[in-house]
Amino acid sequence: MTNDFKAHFDAIKARALGELLPGERAAISYSAERSAYMRFNNGKVRQSGTVLQADLSIKLWKGAKSYSFQLGLSCDADVDDERVADAIGSARALLPLLPDDPYQAVPEAAESSDARYGGKLLPEGEIPARVLDPAAGLDFTGIYSQGLVCRAAANSAGADHWFQTETFLVDYSAWLPNGRAVKSSYAGRDWSDGEYAARIASTRGSLENLSKPEKVLTPGKYRAFITADALNEVVTFFSWNGFGERGLRQGESAYIAMREGRESMSPLFGFSQDFSLGVQPAFNDDGELAPDRLVVVEGGRIRNTIVCSRTAKQYGIPANGAGDEEEARSVAIDAGDLPEADALEAIGTGVYVSNFHYLNWSDVQAARITGMTRFSCLWVEDGEVVGPIKDMRWDESLYNMLGAKLEAVTRERHLIVESMTYDHRQVGGSLLPGLLVDGLSFTL
Amino acid sequence: MRSDLRRLLDAAGQAAKEAAWLGLRRRRTSATYYMARDGSFDQAVGGIDDGIMVEALYDGQFAYAATPDMTPEGVAKAAASALASAKAAAGRGVHRFDASVRPATGARYETPRVRKAATAPDGVFGFLLASCGALKSSDEIIQTTSLVEAGRYDYEIVSTNGADIEQTLYYLGTSLQAVARRGDVVQLRTANGPRGLTRQGGWELLDTETLLKEASRVGTEAVELLGADTCPSDRRTLVLMPDQMMLQIHESVGHPLEIDRILGDERNYAGGSFVKASDIGSLRYGSDLMNISYDPTVPGELASYGADEIGNLAVKQLIIKNGILVRGLGSLESQARAGVPGVANQRATSWNRPPIDRMANLNLEPGSTSLKDMIASVEKGVLMRTNRSWSIDDYRNKFQFGCEYGTLIEDGKLTKTVRDPNYRGVSSTFWRSLSAVGDRGTFAAYGTPNCGKGEPNQVMFVGHASPVCAFSDVEVFGGGK
Repeated sequence: MTNDFKAHFDAIKARALGELLPGERAAISYSAERSAYMRFNNGKVRQSGTVLQADLSIKLWKGAKSYSFQLGLSCDADVDDERVADAIGSARALLPLLPDDPYQAVPEAAESSDARYGGKLLPEGEIPARVLDPAAGLDFTGIYSQGLVCRAAANSAGADHWFQTETFLVDYSAWLPNGRAVKSSYAGRDWSDGEYAARIASTRGSLENLSKPEKVLTPGKYRAFITADALNEVVTFFSWNGFGERGLRQGESAYIAMREGRESMSPLFGFSQDFSLGVQPAFNDDGELAPDRLVVVEGGRIRNTIVCSRTAKQYGIPANGAGDEEEARSVAIDAGDLPEADALEAIGTGVYVSNFHYLNWSDVQAARITGMTRFSCLWVEDGEVVGPIKDMRWDESLYNMLGAKLEAVTRERHLIVESMTYDHRQVGGSLLPGLLVDGLSFTL
Repeated sequence: MRSDLRRLLDAAGQAAKEAAWLGLRRRRTSATYYMARDGSFDQAVGGIDDGIMVEALYDGQFAYAATPDMTPEGVAKAAASALASAKAAAGRGVHRFDASVRPATGARYETPRVRKAATAPDGVFGFLLASCGALKSSDEIIQTTSLVEAGRYDYEIVSTNGADIEQTLYYLGTSLQAVARRGDVVQLRTANGPRGLTRQGGWELLDTETLLKEASRVGTEAVELLGADTCPSDRRTLVLMPDQMMLQIHESVGHPLEIDRILGDERNYAGGSFVKASDIGSLRYGSDLMNISYDPTVPGELASYGADEIGNLAVKQLIIKNGILVRGLGSLESQARAGVPGVANQRATSWNRPPIDRMANLNLEPGSTSLKDMIASVEKGVLMRTNRSWSIDDYRNKFQFGCEYGTLIEDGKLTKTVRDPNYRGVSSTFWRSLSAVGDRGTFAAYGTPNCGKGEPNQVMFVGHASPVCAFSDVEVFGGGK
């Protein structure tokens, strides 16, 4: 077994690409990690342990045929060498049984990149004490994760990319007996007990507002300040039925009306894919690089869409290094001019939205989404916090929230790092401001 | 295979001699996925994954180490890591466990199948291309997609106290989708929702004759929706077909009754519950007509199995009886922590994640009302089919759900089709408004292969079967900006 994932990838790459016969082409993508997890509830350990994993995805093309396979790797070089060879043999036998692929897009990109970010992480045996002790006395719930994460891609045209980062994340919430909570996180590459203690101290302070009597709102329209943390939930909707070219052409995007000029967002609103954030590699699974910065929405109108090579082939347009799902990556929403410190004053009377929860489409074609408020959302009167609100359901078109109702965008932006761990510890993040919205529709 | 796992358990034991208990849980997954779009090839994907989670118990604390390296050396290293993690956390746990929550179960289970041999890829694509043709009912259809996914999960569990479990689950799912456009109106219609037609079984589930008829219906209804009015906004009787009841049960019954949510484990991510442990045995959850069962024994339903992944034997249990909550959806660990009755539902997405409470098959038992009689009893209502949107608060109370296709009910008759039907309510009162439950003739099972939960995150397959149901006085509304 090896934790030298780069050597592991190089061996796999050599086997996979070296096995190709004349007329065959391939792209491979690789993901590996060694992670430590500690899940905690009420300041106590619920489940903890470590995970070693690596997997490979191979796309194989021959003539007009295309086939992909995903292979869990053992992390043992000899075992994996056999697995990759066997998988290519099986794929080769299967290809003739498939119909021709009319939009086959074999990558021609041949760039290379190598980005490595080291970190100073906690000794695994010290994780429970170093994470939980500073939060003593709090009803402290969440997860700690740390370790090395690797992503790589290569193709038969010569592209060869490597990305690795050592990171940690404490993703937590602290609860009061009244059921209210403050949600926060501490993330980075170099653990600091001091920085972590300061974050926990800030959380303790934030709990004070939540012990005040709860304000129950009636359904209606309210002024609302949406924090960067809350806005991060909305960013999902730039990918899901989002700004991918295929969805716009084939009716699944929520932004068809915007593309066709029937709707627009506010001149204050714009966003880009910005890989200079340094939290996610710019290469996709085929080894193609996205531009460092791609403006998607500018001044409330679509400037570019997110285009993968397959869509580009189908519609005869340029690709821009997108993944197959044409999702938005490394999103940076444009800053505005509202000082964040003035947010409460700018609300006047309304709701300070710390977090949203469980958003989904109400009506895709109207770009209308519904969701809940969650954690420490506050009622504000005349620029002063009155107390927490009882969580409310809201239902609003993004053409309103990011359009006619968008009153201001904060000057400051916050880097919200990816916290999802489905299949893997995921990499990525978004740079987001806060938004002041006049008339957010609360419904239940 | 099991003898290999026994040998690996010996290697683990040598490396973690201080452990009070050790267990190995192996999971191998293989899957194929074929998809056509607009009558052409779109994707063909295969996949295999395999690995082991070693679990160690030390001083009342379990910990794990997951590895894909299934050599004795690899498993020994994992066992040492699991023991070290357990030692580091010992005395800090949410509960002092012992090996009684890892029973010495012997179990064998395999999905019943009629057709065990897979259809060849060219045969599958023959169906996929034909179904795209059936979905394209008119020139107003701007996109058709059709996919077939099939796979198997192999589970093996052994432990130092004698657990010996081997299970193999087979599944197959078909998804059919048409998108139609007329002017500015765009509508999407599917066969029972995204991946709803996913069930356990063999290749007999690829019933091409029936599925092609379904594709034709889906395409026709997508176009029909283009000319439909939007759903009215008011309060009325809501009739839900089983392919929406699936979602209603999942979100507003299944999740709030998971005992790990009630205990607060999920508060930082998926959320808690409006239900308290003390409610079990007394809470009136719904009307007298409401009978909910946890039933992993239904052949063909997506989450059927013989034992969960900590070795608790799976048997059918009534969760809500005549509207009263009588049992929670919690594993042996959760039962020990909460002191309430539960079920066998501690399951993991794969070898690299620890098992947590999951709802498995959660079904609403049939009642006695025919669909015809149910419709006839409604003066003003709307019937909704096929989930397309779901959102609910973190205590699983305030929800808003949307469907693909609605039909107004006026004076006891189904009248006209409406598009973009949505409804919202509060779980704790919604189920008490359950006014009619369909008979067995209206009963149908669907799969939800993509339930997300847990930290670290896990996706799980669950199943839901239900008859058609009617709920009185529900807020319904349509789409638009």
